Amino acid sequence: MSLRALAVVFIVLLPPVRAASADEAFIPNQSSGDLTIVDLGAMTPGVTLPIGGKPAGIAVTPDGARAYVTSPEGHFVSVIDAIARRVVKQIAVGGQPFGVAVSPDGRRLYVADMNGRELLEISPETEKTRRVEIGATPSGVAVTPDGRLIIAAARDDNALVLIEAETFARVATIAVGRHPYGVTIDAQGRHAYTANVESDDVSIIDLAERKLIATAPVGSHPYGVALARGRAFVANQYAETVSVFDTATLAPLATIKVGEYPESVGVSRDGATIYVTNWFSNELWSIDAESYKIMGKAATGDGPRAFGAFVRAAD
Amino acid sequence: MSPLAVLRAIVIAAVLTPAAAVAHGATPQKVIETIEIAAPPAKVWAVVGDFQDMGWLPGIVKTEGEGGVTPEIAKRRLFLAGGAVIDERLVQYDDAAMSLRYIIEHVDFAVLPVGNLSATLKVSPASSGGSVVEWKSRFYRAFPGGNPPEQYTDEVAIKAVSELFRSGLAGLKARVERE
Repeated sequence: MSLRALAVVFIVLLPPVRAASADEAFIPNQSSGDLTIVDLGAMTPGVTLPIGGKPAGIAVTPDGARAYVTSPEGHFVSVIDAIARRVVKQIAVGGQPFGVAVSPDGRRLYVADMNGRELLEISPETEKTRRVEIGATPSGVAVTPDGRLIIAAARDDNALVLIEAETFARVATIAVGRHPYGVTIDAQGRHAYTANVESDDVSIIDLAERKLIATAPVGSHPYGVALARGRAFVANQYAETVSVFDTATLAPLATIKVGEYPESVGVSRDGATIYVTNWFSNELWSIDAESYKIMGKAATGDGPRAFGAFVRAAD
Repeated sequence: MSPLAVLRAIVIAAVLTPAAAVAHGATPQKVIETIEIAAPPAKVWAVVGDFQDMGWLPGIVKTEGEGGVTPEIAKRRLFLAGGAVIDERLVQYDDAAMSLRYIIEHVDFAVLPVGNLSATLKVSPASSGGSVVEWKSRFYRAFPGGNPPEQYTDEVAIKAVSELFRSGLAGLKARVERE
């Protein structure tokens, strides 16, 4: 056999090598009151940081420098130095801070007060705060990639509320399904997706037109949505599955069986891997975005919520 | 307070607090209880898997329902000694895996101080040759806001569900092993 033929054989026989991931997951564990940092390349848990106050919501700055965790029962937001792995400070905000998002420049935090009807804008440096009325049970929060628009779910009003970042004023309220929870915006900033817990579907909003353009049925009790490769991946808490549908045609593509009570779902920066937290079984699972195969499982603390965009760029 | 005492307390108090609202709080709770039963899994599942009869749970005097064991269709109303009722809906049913999941659609907080409860009952073979029954649940405390009053805290909710499940599993064991 020639060397060249041998090389071909080797190439064929070698298992596909996945690009080394420098992504991490920052997973707040609500029951154990801490945060697990998971190396997503190896799918192994690393450092655990004590947080307190039943941590639930997570946001990470695009440069990977800072993470922010809400503690609804402690009424504070923790500011975390993601590189040094330490809590820098905890900002007392009152109420029940829950969903959280951070502006692309990292200078503004947007925090939903679940029991207080408001969205808060907080400067993590100065702690200066502005407030805007959202409605009943503010839950998920997301910001467009250009930082101009914030979208918050008013869960018990069955609506998404659009807020202009500059003025921090409401500019639109859009009726969606029953009990919208997690909110995810696509990379182009064109569409927002929200999982409707009580109506078992996903509402898709055109952000320029400011209107509902489609509704996709998913499984029982959807919580979170991740977007990758023209597909939406939706964690269904009661069905214990991830529903996959084509975002252009809304055609259902797959139903992936996952762990117990899946809630939050994220995606690697290269779009190749989906991550889902399983709240009851205390695990983060990774799923191949093309084959839909379960690739790995990492242990977390007790009751991983990770409500928000929990994937951090570590390089 | 035991579940039976809770049930008795309603009769004595005869005061109904507002019904469990749809709104719930920020922190879900977990309870997992298990029991070993000296009977084969099929025999235990014959009792547990009959969604339309929860007579094995102490304190339940009657079960009325419809829809058999069809997920999302099957419903039942549990009548408690003293007159209170609990309305439940079946959301998953797997006969082969001997597992079912239901949710409470309505319960008075005086009966069970929880919101948005879902629970799974699963029968598995035990290494001893008998069965293991696992009853586990996700729920919220009755009071959705921060700083709940003392009768509606997380701890009170967890205690009530734990005691209910322990009492239920003991009742199930006694009934199946007697048969």
